[in-house]
Amino acid sequence: MIRQAAYRRRWRPTRYLLAATIGAALFLVLVLSSVASFAIGPVPMRATLFGLPGVGFMAAATFFGVRALHDQAAAIRGRDATRAVALFVAGMFMWLAVLDVYTFTREAGPAVASVCAIACLPTTAVGLFLVRRFDRNEKEPWRLVMVAALWGAIVSTSLVVWAESLWDLLFTATLVPGPAADTSAAYSAGIFEELAKGTALVLLYLVMRDEIDDVVDGIIYGAAVGLGFNFMESVAYMTHQYAILAPEGLGVVGAIGQWYFRQVVGLFFGHATFTALIGAGIGIARQMPQLRQRVLAIASGFLAAIGAHFAWDAWQAFVLVGSSSTQLLLANARYVVVIGPFAAVVLLLLVMGQHVEGSALRRQLLAEAATGLGAVQRNEVAVLMSPWERFLARLAALGRGGLRAYLRLARLQTAQLHLAMERWHRERHEIEQPLAAEEALRQHVLQLR
Amino acid sequence: MTPAGCTAPVRPRVVHLTDVNDASLGSKIVASVVETHDDLRPLYRVILALGLVAVFILAFGFALLLKFAPPGQRSGYRAEVTGVYLYDPSTGSIAGSPMTRFHRTQLFAARVAWEKLPPDMLVSARWTDSLDDESGTTQPTPTRAGSLARQEALVPVRASREFHADLPGQYTLTVVRYARGQPVELLASARVTVLRDP
Repeated sequence: MIRQAAYRRRWRPTRYLLAATIGAALFLVLVLSSVASFAIGPVPMRATLFGLPGVGFMAAATFFGVRALHDQAAAIRGRDATRAVALFVAGMFMWLAVLDVYTFTREAGPAVASVCAIACLPTTAVGLFLVRRFDRNEKEPWRLVMVAALWGAIVSTSLVVWAESLWDLLFTATLVPGPAADTSAAYSAGIFEELAKGTALVLLYLVMRDEIDDVVDGIIYGAAVGLGFNFMESVAYMTHQYAILAPEGLGVVGAIGQWYFRQVVGLFFGHATFTALIGAGIGIARQMPQLRQRVLAIASGFLAAIGAHFAWDAWQAFVLVGSSSTQLLLANARYVVVIGPFAAVVLLLLVMGQHVEGSALRRQLLAEAATGLGAVQRNEVAVLMSPWERFLARLAALGRGGLRAYLRLARLQTAQLHLAMERWHRERHEIEQPLAAEEALRQHVLQLR
Repeated sequence: MTPAGCTAPVRPRVVHLTDVNDASLGSKIVASVVETHDDLRPLYRVILALGLVAVFILAFGFALLLKFAPPGQRSGYRAEVTGVYLYDPSTGSIAGSPMTRFHRTQLFAARVAWEKLPPDMLVSARWTDSLDDESGTTQPTPTRAGSLARQEALVPVRASREFHADLPGQYTLTVVRYARGQPVELLASARVTVLRDP
C-alpha cells in the first residue's frame, strides 16, 4: 500500500538504472569470487552438489526472465519479471551461503560449525529484535530486516574475502610485521567490509526508497546488516579458534571466548555500530532535497563507518593494556573506550531522528484529524504517538474481541501511521504524485475501522 | 535563515487542494499542506562532523603507517630462506630435506642465507603462529647479518610453555632489516603448515 502511495519521482528510472548497474557489478564480482573459490580457494567441487538448489533457482529465474521478454500483456510481463528477480536473488543467496560455509567453517568441520552457528543465532536474533524496536512509530517489515541481515551474513562476507586476500597479498604482506602491517590490515577491513555492507543500504535506498523514511530507518537497516555480518564472522572466528586449540583440549574455551566477545560484548559495539553509521548517512540523505547534500551525507556515513572500523582494528590492541590479572576486565572496557564514542553518536542520531519523526507524525495526525475525513480521530493521536499506549489499546481490544480484534487494531494503527508518514513526505516535497495515493491509504484506514 | 534544502520551504499554514492527478476523485479529495516545522540541520551537521572526524582518524592512521614503514627504505637486498627443516634442539642442527608441512610434535627451524646480506646490516627473523603470537626468533634482536652468517644461525620454532606441542595452522617466518632502532624493511617471508593430527 505504502509503496503505491509514494515516490513516483520523474527520475525514478535513473536511480533504478544506477541500482541495476551496481547489482550487475556485484554479480560479476561474486561470479569471479565463486570461480576463485573453486580454483584456488578452499571450496571443493562437491560444493556444486549442495549448491544445486541455488542453481535450480537460477534456472527458474532464467525461465521467468525469458518468458517476461515474450509476454504480450504488461501485467503478466511485470509478474514474470518480478518472479525472475526474486528467484535470481534467492538463488544467489543460496549459492553464496554454500560457498561461505566452506570458506569460513572448513577448519573445524561441519558439526562444530553448526554448533557455533546455533550458539550465535539467539544473540543475533535478540539483536535484530531490539534494533527493530528502535523504530517507535513505524516498525520496519521483518522481511526487509531479515534480507538486510542475510545480505550482511552472506553477500558482504563473500565480497570481502577475496578483496581482503588480494590487499593482503599486494600490500600487507610486503610490509614489516607489527604496527605498519596491522595498520594496512585495518585499512583493508575498514574499507572493504564497510563498502560490502553499505552496498546493501545503497541498493535499498535506490530501489526501495519508500522503506527508508528517515535517519531512524537508515540506522535500523544498517544495524541489521551489521548484525548479519557479525553472525557469520563470529562463526568463522569461533571455528578457527576451536580448530587451533582443540588439540590442546582448549577448543571449546577458545570458541566460547570468541562467542562472548563477538556475540555479547561486541554484538552492538562492532559491526552493528559501524554499519548503522552508513545507514544514518543514507537516512539523512533520504530527506535532503539537493543532490550535493545527499552525496555529502552518504559519503560522510561511509567515511564514519570506515574510520570507526579502522580505529578499532588498528588501535584496540594498544588501548588499556594492563597486567594479566586485569586482562579480561580491560578487554571488555576496550570495546566501550574505542567503539563507545561512535555508538554514542549513533544513539544521538537515533534520538534526534526519533524526535524529528515524532514531532512530524504528531503534526500530521492532528492535521489529518482536522480534515474530518475520519481516518484519524483527534483523541487517537496521543495513543498513536506512544508505543506503550498503542500496545495498551491493542490489549484492551484483545480483551473485548479476542485475537482477531487485536490484530485488526494493530493493522489500523499501522495504516494510520503510514498515512501520517505519507503526509509528512508530501509536506517536505519528497514525493511528487501523492494525493491519489494518499487517498488510497486513507480509504484503507477507513476500511479497517 | 535556513540553509538551502534542509527544511522544506515555508508555505501557507493550511492550503486545501483538489487532486490534480486523478480527475475521477474530484473534489472529494481534500488534503491539507501544513507549514513544516522539522529541522534536519542538526542531523545533517552531526553526520558531516562525524565524516570529518573519520577523515582525521584515517589520516592519522596513514601517518602512523608512514612512521613504521617509512618510504625510501628499500635497500635492494632480498634475504633467501633456503628452507624449513626438521630440527633437533639438543644438537641445534637440522636434518633431512626442506618441508612445508609438519606434525605438531615435529620441531622445525628455518635456514636463511645470511651470508648473502651485507655483514653490517642489522636484521632479525621471527616465527609467528596461527594465533599471530611470536613463536621463535633470532637472538639478540636485531643483530648483524655477518654475525648470524658466522654462527650459521637457524631460526627454530619454540612451542609455547602453555601447550604440549606446536599449535596447528599456518606459521609465518619474516626476515626484517632494522634502522634507527626499528624494523623498516621486509627482506623475506615464508610459510609452513603444522597439521592438526599428531
